[in-house]
Amino acid sequence: MSKNDPNHEFIESPFILSRREFIAIGGIIVALLALPAVWVRSALINRNQHIQARTRGLYKDDVTSKIRLSHENPAVMKLYRDFAGKPLSPVSEELLHTKYVNRTKALA
Amino acid sequence: MNQETKTYRKGEIPGVIAINARECKGCDACKRFCPTGAITGLFGATHRVEVDLCISCGQCLVNCPFGAPYETVDPVDEVAAKLADKRTTVVGIIAPAVRVAIGEPFGMPVGSLVTGKMYSAMKKAGFVILDNNFAADLTIMEEGTEFIQRARHALFGEKAEHGGEIGPLPQFTSCCPAWVRFVETNYPAMIPNLSSAKSPQQMAGAVAKTYGAAQVFKVAPESVYTVGIMPCTAKKFEASRPEFQSAWHFMKEKGATAASKPYPDIDAVLTTRDLARLLKKMKINLAAENEVEGGTLFAEYTGAGTIFGNTGGVMEAALRTAWVVLTGTPLARIEFQAVRGLKGVKSAAVTLRDRKYGKEVTVKVAVVHDIRANIRPLLEDVMAGRSPYHFVEVMNCPGGCVNGGGQPVCDTGSSWIGRVLPSFAWS
Amino acid sequence: MSESSFILKHPLRVRVFHYILAASFLTLAVTGVMLYFKLLAEPAMNTAMQVHVLAGIVLTLDALAFFFLAFDRVVLFTKRTFTFSGNDIKWFAVLGGYPQKILLHRKVTVPPMGKYNAGQKLFGICVLVGGTLLILSGWVLWTIPHAVGHGAASWAGSIHVVASWVLILFLFVHLFLGIYMWDDFKAMFGDGRIPYEDAAEKAPLWVKNDLRRLC
Repeated sequence: MSKNDPNHEFIESPFILSRREFIAIGGIIVALLALPAVWVRSALINRNQHIQARTRGLYKDDVTSKIRLSHENPAVMKLYRDFAGKPLSPVSEELLHTKYVNRTKALA
Repeated sequence: MNQETKTYRKGEIPGVIAINARECKGCDACKRFCPTGAITGLFGATHRVEVDLCISCGQCLVNCPFGAPYETVDPVDEVAAKLADKRTTVVGIIAPAVRVAIGEPFGMPVGSLVTGKMYSAMKKAGFVILDNNFAADLTIMEEGTEFIQRARHALFGEKAEHGGEIGPLPQFTSCCPAWVRFVETNYPAMIPNLSSAKSPQQMAGAVAKTYGAAQVFKVAPESVYTVGIMPCTAKKFEASRPEFQSAWHFMKEKGATAASKPYPDIDAVLTTRDLARLLKKMKINLAAENEVEGGTLFAEYTGAGTIFGNTGGVMEAALRTAWVVLTGTPLARIEFQAVRGLKGVKSAAVTLRDRKYGKEVTVKVAVVHDIRANIRPLLEDVMAGRSPYHFVEVMNCPGGCVNGGGQPVCDTGSSWIGRVLPSFAWS
Repeated sequence: MSESSFILKHPLRVRVFHYILAASFLTLAVTGVMLYFKLLAEPAMNTAMQVHVLAGIVLTLDALAFFFLAFDRVVLFTKRTFTFSGNDIKWFAVLGGYPQKILLHRKVTVPPMGKYNAGQKLFGICVLVGGTLLILSGWVLWTIPHAVGHGAASWAGSIHVVASWVLILFLFVHLFLGIYMWDDFKAMFGDGRIPYEDAAEKAPLWVKNDLRRLC
């Protein structure tokens, strides 16, 4: 439609907004749209924070432990002395070892 | 549950995890975490768990944005009743990963290490403490010795002491019940490679009801009620496996138990979430408790045992002990950084001198977690005979047990490790 | 100012944007309600979701195209809808005179309005804010619910539901009045023109301040 189309006599003035208003409002719109973008990006980056925090907690428990090697645990040594004998002994085999089941075959 | 199932034996709990059809929006987020493709349902329609495929790992549960999956087994009331029963010794078997997560439902920062407060809260509730880290140390002894036996047999032709059969390499860890069921249901050819060692939970139950009853608690074994406190929903399935009544069999043979019917090694399993609910029901505020000691022989543990909750932790604990036992020399460095971290498959080569045979060997180990994304290529390699590894640690959950299906659901992140990929409605 | 004078109220790009917006939003609303109340059996729910996603993509592209190709109109629309005055409060007090006109056949004096009356401004704000929230939360829910974390995905779900319901309920008013005001309907869905007399009566401040006579 050309400007001199006889179908309508009036249009909206192109100068309703001042340049300052245009920049101000336009700027606010873009800033408000940037907010969720930042939020989603932060959620994506931080998605593993809870795993890392808990992992650090356990390594801290390790570093602050008096004894850090399993075979030096006096309670474990006592258990073997008093009861199980040694690893893979008959008592150990009976209580501390197991067998597995092929579940692709018919099961009892 | 009265279901026709194909991959469960009598007595085992089928379907620890189910999906609430009212809450499910069909967004498909859960499918992206299921290691076995056990969730069916089209995008947009309500989803269902196929119990014959499900390994009860609970990753769908901790990651669903709408909280639709739920646990069908809730022993909180039963455990509360046992705690109130003066004739029962209730033993709380606490996994390593619980102590860095149980503070969260009580308002403490994510990952706070709250061992002392946890002991205090549980003792207040009436538990006797058996720290599963003690059982983890025990597991290293059993599984580490088994590995050394397998390795010396493969490398030097050494035979077993009592002439039994020795398993093949690579040896896979067996403490993760979801992983074990995964092998049993999908890769049964790999069963001989699984370590014969029980998981720490099951070792703890067996020990508590034999040596524990007789020498530590000094009560009748049938009056001991063992409760696994675990970051894991698959442990509920594991405890129900019918072969795990070894304590009763052992004591029956010795005439040391009056019970005529078998009792399980682990009577009940509470997830970390369940424990929080139990404590709150009993009006115990864990965050306000003082730090105390565990108080029993079974509460003593080492740093090697406590790192079992992290991916790479079992392997690191095993390497620390294996080095010292095989070489007879102390470790220059206790930490094995190569097996730490969130990479899907980590590997390390440890060269040491086996003092028994006077030979230098290079032990090649691998650590796998998030089995949905990472296990199949490794298993294919093993089955094709081209895997370089001697010992492999496998944990189902991304990050290890600290991110297990039984842990408090965390707002701050998803358990999902890898790259960001969009999904499409038609996939 | 003869009776046959016309104002071009909605230029072509505005009308095209609105056609696509209307078609896609109605599709989204209908499929969304079906999904929310789980009205159908499984294969149909899947189809409803696929249609919902497709319509969502169309609406997003429509919004993006208008945003980049007609940014000046976006800014102008924002300014108009967010500019309130005492007149707007008074307009709400009489509800713009519509219930009286429709139900009681009585004419009520209404404070002078600009291009958008107070009710339209409120609806415009809802569309701007609600629409943006729906597009953003919708894309998160469709593509990355597993990756942003349980908390963020749950929030996206709640935002999506609340914004949908606000817009759908308000939409009933918009549809009714948009058709009841037949000249405006003809403008938006026809050639974009509105009679001068009509505009002078309904939007006197717009006619006085914002127009320009051609030639």
